[in-house]
Amino acid sequence: MKNFFLSLKTTVWTLLGLVIVFFIGSYMMPMHREVFSSMNDSLLFDWVKSVALRDLWLTWWFFAALAGLVVLTINTLVCSLAAIQGKWSRTDFLLRISPQIIHLGFLFILLAHLLGSGWGYKLSGMMPEGGFARLPEDRALSLQSVVVQTDPAGYMQDWSAEVSLYENNEVVKRGTLGPNKPLFYKGVGVYLKSLDFERGPAALLMVNKDPGAIWALIGSALFMLGSVSLLALKWKKT
Amino acid sequence: MDYILFILYPLSLIRPRFMLPALVFHAFLIVASALQYGRIPLMGMHDTLGFLAFSIGVVYVIAAWNRARDLFSYLTTPLILIFLAGSAISPPVTHGMPPVLKTMWFELHVILSFVSYALFAVGAIFGLLDRYGNDVHAERGQYRSLLLGYVLFSIAMIFGGIWAFLAWGTYWLWTPKELWTTIVWFFYSLYLHARLVRGWSGPKTAWMGVVGFVIVLFTYAGVGLLMKSSHEF
Repeated sequence: MKNFFLSLKTTVWTLLGLVIVFFIGSYMMPMHREVFSSMNDSLLFDWVKSVALRDLWLTWWFFAALAGLVVLTINTLVCSLAAIQGKWSRTDFLLRISPQIIHLGFLFILLAHLLGSGWGYKLSGMMPEGGFARLPEDRALSLQSVVVQTDPAGYMQDWSAEVSLYENNEVVKRGTLGPNKPLFYKGVGVYLKSLDFERGPAALLMVNKDPGAIWALIGSALFMLGSVSLLALKWKKT
Repeated sequence: MDYILFILYPLSLIRPRFMLPALVFHAFLIVASALQYGRIPLMGMHDTLGFLAFSIGVVYVIAAWNRARDLFSYLTTPLILIFLAGSAISPPVTHGMPPVLKTMWFELHVILSFVSYALFAVGAIFGLLDRYGNDVHAERGQYRSLLLGYVLFSIAMIFGGIWAFLAWGTYWLWTPKELWTTIVWFFYSLYLHARLVRGWSGPKTAWMGVVGFVIVLFTYAGVGLLMKSSHEF
């Protein structure tokens, strides 16, 4: 079994399997919106429990992809551990460590997805100006005002929303939300997704706690570091 | 003035270095467009196909600098012209940047994506040279193009993830576009690993470079046209 996970052939066939499974998934998703449209609305594990397990004939590719990623994770771990345990010399240290840094970054990114899929929360809703909403962990959110800037042609140039975040009924953070400008507090992000003026000024707000985000960032940094280092070394050698 | 490019680019069929005037003029047009609309000129098919043609031209000139006119030029120049024609028939986006796209993460994400697509295109052409061109250096050229393309593509995806997290609170969404982006990434990871496996390296990996670019083209244009996605293209 160890030889199976230590083999590069396992990597190649698993990646090929994942390509095929994702290809099938990309065709299933738009054809069965009733099953897949809620996939991004809440935590992925909630979608799995409430939707995916009930429609296995449509979601089998998703579980096949998870199985493929589990095999790839074990394969990556076993290969990297074997590579680290081998004999090291000063001359090829960077060339041998760089792929392992890339693998570590990849594993951290997978860990981030796992944490973000099962833990934390994702809430969203339309809030009118002056509105107030309770959040998990004894927190709350209020919307003071929304502002829109348009150009002479009426094209929307910018928008923003003033919000306050409460913890135990005390204001702990105030801020201005805008495009690409969320408000962060203790791992919770508040996002302005869109505005609505049909029944008075209102904002579509999203509150998100993703415990995997920091791991995704660390994993990405490691992946980039290892890739650039490997690229430079391989470029010289080939 | 875009039509001048259709005259300048084919000069590379005389000698690869002769593509330089086309690239300089194309760069001037891209900068002029950026100044006219006050934004990065990478919105919609008109802009992006033009930028893809330009990027392939840059990679081609670097890769073919010391080459004589050969199959490499005969394959690359028509490919550039096809993308230019696609750009010419696509309506340009004439408005400014939507607020959510006004961030350096988006700009880096898109620029690096298209530069990596150009490297994947040249990698595919090296694959054909390896199979049909009797070019002993084609495998090396393909590996270099695809390795650099893979690294830039990975960085582009990471920057896209950072942008998505700041804009929408998530660095990955389950949509066909993201699935296809992951397919591209898995496929080139497969290529890089397969090169090291006996029975896979050689003709199989040369063809994988060609198939990879077909996947890239579908990810770029096909998914946006055929499937609802978080991306316009």
